[in-house]
Amino acid sequence: MALIAGLMFAVVCLVLLAGYPVAFTLGGVALLFGLGGAAAGAFPAGELLALPSRVFGIMTNETLIAVPLFVFMGVMLERSQIARELLEATAALFGRRRGGLGITVVLVGALLAASTGIVGATVVTMGLLALPTMLRRGYDPALAAGTICAAGTLGQVIPPSIMLVLLGDVIASAYQQAQSTMGVFSMQTVSVGDLFVGALIPGLLTVAAYLLYLLFVAWRWPATMPAVPDDERGKHTGLVLITRLLSPLALIVAVLGSIMIGAATPTEAAAIGALGAMLLAAARGRLGRTELTAVTDRTARLTSMVFMILIGASLFSLVFSAYGGDHAVHELLDSLPGGALGAMLVVMAAMFLLGFILDFIEITFVVVPIVAPALLAMGLDPIWLGVMMAINLQTSFLTPPFGFALFYLRGVAPASLETGAIYRGVVPFILIQLGMLGLLAAWPGLVTWLPGLVYR
Amino acid sequence: MARLARLVAGIDAVNNAIGRGVAWLTLAMVLADALVVGLRYGFGIGWTGLQESVTYMHATVFLLAAAYALNRDDHVRVDIFQRQWSLRRRALVDLLGSLCLLLPVAVTLAALSLGYVADAWRRMETSAQPGGLPFVYLLKTLILVVAAQLAAAALARAGHSWLTLRDNPTEAGSWR
Repeated sequence: MALIAGLMFAVVCLVLLAGYPVAFTLGGVALLFGLGGAAAGAFPAGELLALPSRVFGIMTNETLIAVPLFVFMGVMLERSQIARELLEATAALFGRRRGGLGITVVLVGALLAASTGIVGATVVTMGLLALPTMLRRGYDPALAAGTICAAGTLGQVIPPSIMLVLLGDVIASAYQQAQSTMGVFSMQTVSVGDLFVGALIPGLLTVAAYLLYLLFVAWRWPATMPAVPDDERGKHTGLVLITRLLSPLALIVAVLGSIMIGAATPTEAAAIGALGAMLLAAARGRLGRTELTAVTDRTARLTSMVFMILIGASLFSLVFSAYGGDHAVHELLDSLPGGALGAMLVVMAAMFLLGFILDFIEITFVVVPIVAPALLAMGLDPIWLGVMMAINLQTSFLTPPFGFALFYLRGVAPASLETGAIYRGVVPFILIQLGMLGLLAAWPGLVTWLPGLVYR
Repeated sequence: MARLARLVAGIDAVNNAIGRGVAWLTLAMVLADALVVGLRYGFGIGWTGLQESVTYMHATVFLLAAAYALNRDDHVRVDIFQRQWSLRRRALVDLLGSLCLLLPVAVTLAALSLGYVADAWRRMETSAQPGGLPFVYLLKTLILVVAAQLAAAALARAGHSWLTLRDNPTEAGSWR
């Protein structure tokens, strides 16, 4: 029985490579396995009757309402040119120094990405806005490309990111499941807010490590990151600069702050953030019917894409666990040498490899529900597990030759930029990421200290 | 064949109009949820009905915009191989995927949900929350609506791919 579950997983991976939309491939293959098994008498067809209530559960999941609201906020910031202004203003502030443009890209990536959390969007925006300038000013192409890819993926791990919302929701239910199999009576819960707070220090440490690396390169090999002459930085008065820098920053601080002091749930904070983004757009005179049509349209399509994958994945996991797949994976993880550490290593390696072909949404909805209950039952901290998974996936998206961020940048980069240069450029950042994973494994307190302080 | 093209265009037009229409609910969600927060923290008023309306709008958006997103090719694909493929080969993938993956999912979802939705209608199911909205049976009906929309969209996409294959008899040509 469990063999059929394994076969189904392999078939899904193969069929996915044909390129039909992931949501319907997951659901379709699982359905064919379910119906085929039922016809052969190997599958309890009654299990499929749970599908409507699963779909209804997704429709009424209040945590996940944060997704469309955060997407709305991000798309609004992008459409109203606030993202572009932020990049220009920061460049004006730091551009005159050696390495200043690179530092700008990392800082803006951290700020912007925190509001969109969609890898593609940030990499494409900065690839279009910053890459041409960096290349024209004589930046080493590999360094410029690597910086943009790495900065564009920061949004995965810096709260409030969509990946953390999805991971938080999945890990919360996995944690419940793990505790009930362990026979824990006074159940503890973990929320998306916990994960946001837990990811804050690791996220900021990653930004700091990126900046230190760029400063080191600027000091050691100054020719690779020249300064921008004064006349090219555009003329801004101090006041304009400050408002352009501070307004998006204030928005993000307000969203995160209201979650951290416990005044709002992530969903409520997302609504406030989306409203704030509308006000910022209105203040710039960019909140007309055209902009609103574009923003609502794109928000609806992106949201639908995410939730269709969730529905496809829930059909997949329904069939997978009815075939005994969940149980087999638990037993496999339990039997690995090295206990929780060994199991964790195997899971992280598997997720890293899957990150080459699947987006974080699919991995979060398909893989995490299968492996997380087993890992948590071994006593791992749920917040730490979530943050480790987030950073692991971020690293995977950066890694040649299949990393998502590299494809997105390739799509918007001029043909003169060699693909090899992009690959070379991301290597130092991948090493920083791996170092960060090692650091968090050695000192889990970097993740768990802040949530403990805020919530207990 | 002209009749097939007209049918495809007709199904697409209906699904696109529904998707574009419900997209505006995202704006209403932002405003309603911000109002819920403002009332609660500003005036200590809890408004369960308005809170639940955000959930209803959210479900309506992501379900009823699914076929529109399909038409706009927004659903994520694993395209590491597809990128280099010819127009014909991609059309073939879409033809097979629409008929063998999406269509069975939509039809099965409809078949499985029929009893579930009918049961909700029989009881005129209302919210379990005090002060909640009494329209749970309507919310559940959306599952049938999206199943119908996706089944129609699967046929329309298959028809579109079929026409693409017919109009491009050779391997040359670029996508869309």
